[in-house]
Amino acid sequence: MRFKGKAWVVGDEIDTDQIYHGQYLPLTDPSEMAKHALEFVPGKEGFVAQVKDGDILVTGKNFGCGSSREHAVLCLKHAGVACIVAESFSRIFYRNAVNLGYPVLECPGITAVVAEGDEIEVDTDTGEVKDLVTGKGATGVPLSDVESRISRAGGLLEFIKTEQP
Amino acid sequence: MAGKTVIEKILSRAAGRDVQPLDRVWVDVDLAVVRDFGGPNVVLEYEQHFGDARPSDPSRIAMTFDYQAPAKVTKVAENQGICRKFAKKHGVESLYDVNRGIGQHVLLEDGRIHPGQVVIGTDSHMNLLGAVNCFATGCGTTDVVAAWKTGRLWFKCPPTLKVVVTGKYKYPTGAKDLTLFLINKLGTDLPNYRAVEFSGEAIDDLDLAGRLTLASLMTEINAKIAFFPPSPRVDAWLEGRLGRRVEPLEPDPDAAYRAKLGYSVDGLRPLVALPHYPTNVLPAGAAGVAGKRITSAFIGSCTNGRLEDFRAGAEALTRAGGKVHPDVMLTVVPSTAEVALAMLEEGLYDAYMRAGAMVTNPGCSLCTIGHHGVLAPGDVLVSTSNRNFEGKLGRGAEIYLASPATAAASAARGVITDPSTM
Repeated sequence: MRFKGKAWVVGDEIDTDQIYHGQYLPLTDPSEMAKHALEFVPGKEGFVAQVKDGDILVTGKNFGCGSSREHAVLCLKHAGVACIVAESFSRIFYRNAVNLGYPVLECPGITAVVAEGDEIEVDTDTGEVKDLVTGKGATGVPLSDVESRISRAGGLLEFIKTEQP
Repeated sequence: MAGKTVIEKILSRAAGRDVQPLDRVWVDVDLAVVRDFGGPNVVLEYEQHFGDARPSDPSRIAMTFDYQAPAKVTKVAENQGICRKFAKKHGVESLYDVNRGIGQHVLLEDGRIHPGQVVIGTDSHMNLLGAVNCFATGCGTTDVVAAWKTGRLWFKCPPTLKVVVTGKYKYPTGAKDLTLFLINKLGTDLPNYRAVEFSGEAIDDLDLAGRLTLASLMTEINAKIAFFPPSPRVDAWLEGRLGRRVEPLEPDPDAAYRAKLGYSVDGLRPLVALPHYPTNVLPAGAAGVAGKRITSAFIGSCTNGRLEDFRAGAEALTRAGGKVHPDVMLTVVPSTAEVALAMLEEGLYDAYMRAGAMVTNPGCSLCTIGHHGVLAPGDVLVSTSNRNFEGKLGRGAEIYLASPATAAASAARGVITDPSTM
């Protein structure tokens, strides 16, 4: 899939409490969860008020480390973030995104290429990312085999409805 | 063909075919667990996709309520009710309600966990059950819904790291100090998506509580699961719970490892993890650490919530004078009702309460912001839990991770204190 949008950039080791704080774990409605996306990331307290549908999140290493809470993916998805490109993902966050059919791309070197606020293009099938302001690019690692089929089906639950695992 | 590591054996059995590292396979799930966090989300998503359809096997579902035990806000009370209603509707009998304690510990005590199982749960510290060679892992809502519906789930088989730890512990240094030492050394890159097999005399010397401590911090270094060698006392305890013999689960002698690392605990001192990462580790006695004023201390969590942990804490508290410092709040939280009863019988409740600590009912408590002990800006907490990320228990506060002995000594002195100096 291809995306084009404004880049938001966060640093390394952003954990799930910063993405989606533990005090909001009781919420079950994703549109309510969206109101608290990145609330505890230092410097991004205003994110929810400013993010627009189609914006893209670019992150440093180990994004989404910590809890297995799927709320962390859902809040970003429902806040309008079209996809996430990371230097690296924490494995549970990555898996949750795949299971939800939500586009994620692991792309080492990405933070050297993208500046916050720049319009960027992302192709999750080829792994290509390009900063349209600077012209700089990087190539990430697309989803492999099983993950790709799950994501393309629209997520794990859609996948198990159509395939016999 | 090379022999198999523990994770390769478990997944091969569960998949019904030979599994190699990095293979993606579908396996039978032995137990799919939800908490009162994540649980309501699973129920609602399940019903949204599958309506009234019966789960594939209700006997392989468990619910454990420990996030807010009991509920302090209406939404959580409603969430717990959503879970109870689903359990009743579909004949899920394994419901451990708000009076029981932390999920993994309760299941372990109740004889539901054994070597070789595949277990999932809506909590990233499910993997502490690797202490008894169960492959348990934290999953998001969707994974659990899929497992409830089909009884199966997909996994990528992690490659295995072999970590050998030699040497002898010097009192009061123990499992939590070993853990902080190892996670600092290993970091978050090398163990990323790896199974870790621990061995060596310093691992053999760990009791079940110590194994649980070490296994519980694998999540913080991105490792999938940790496994341990057979141990007469751990196996005997487990057999008592299961009511039958435990089949040991060991790697083949010719198993292939992605890397082999060796460490020693000789000379290991009490350690702390400084704000704001668990791997940011220094000695408790280090300059800039020792003597730092604290406002709060916590002994408990799935990492250090066993009877042995509370004994160690009480002993250190006694050595430090037997009273909590007037400027410090000490919260003590048993992992389970069983542990709480044992503490009562041993006089540990007495010891902590007479010292001025608060002893609460079992649960996750202030390991997460769900229940007791929110921090204000400027607060400094010494905690026996497993995470200290910025803002976790409140903005502007600092969390140091430590052993029960270090937390207790610090609570008594009012400053971060190396318990070996008392």
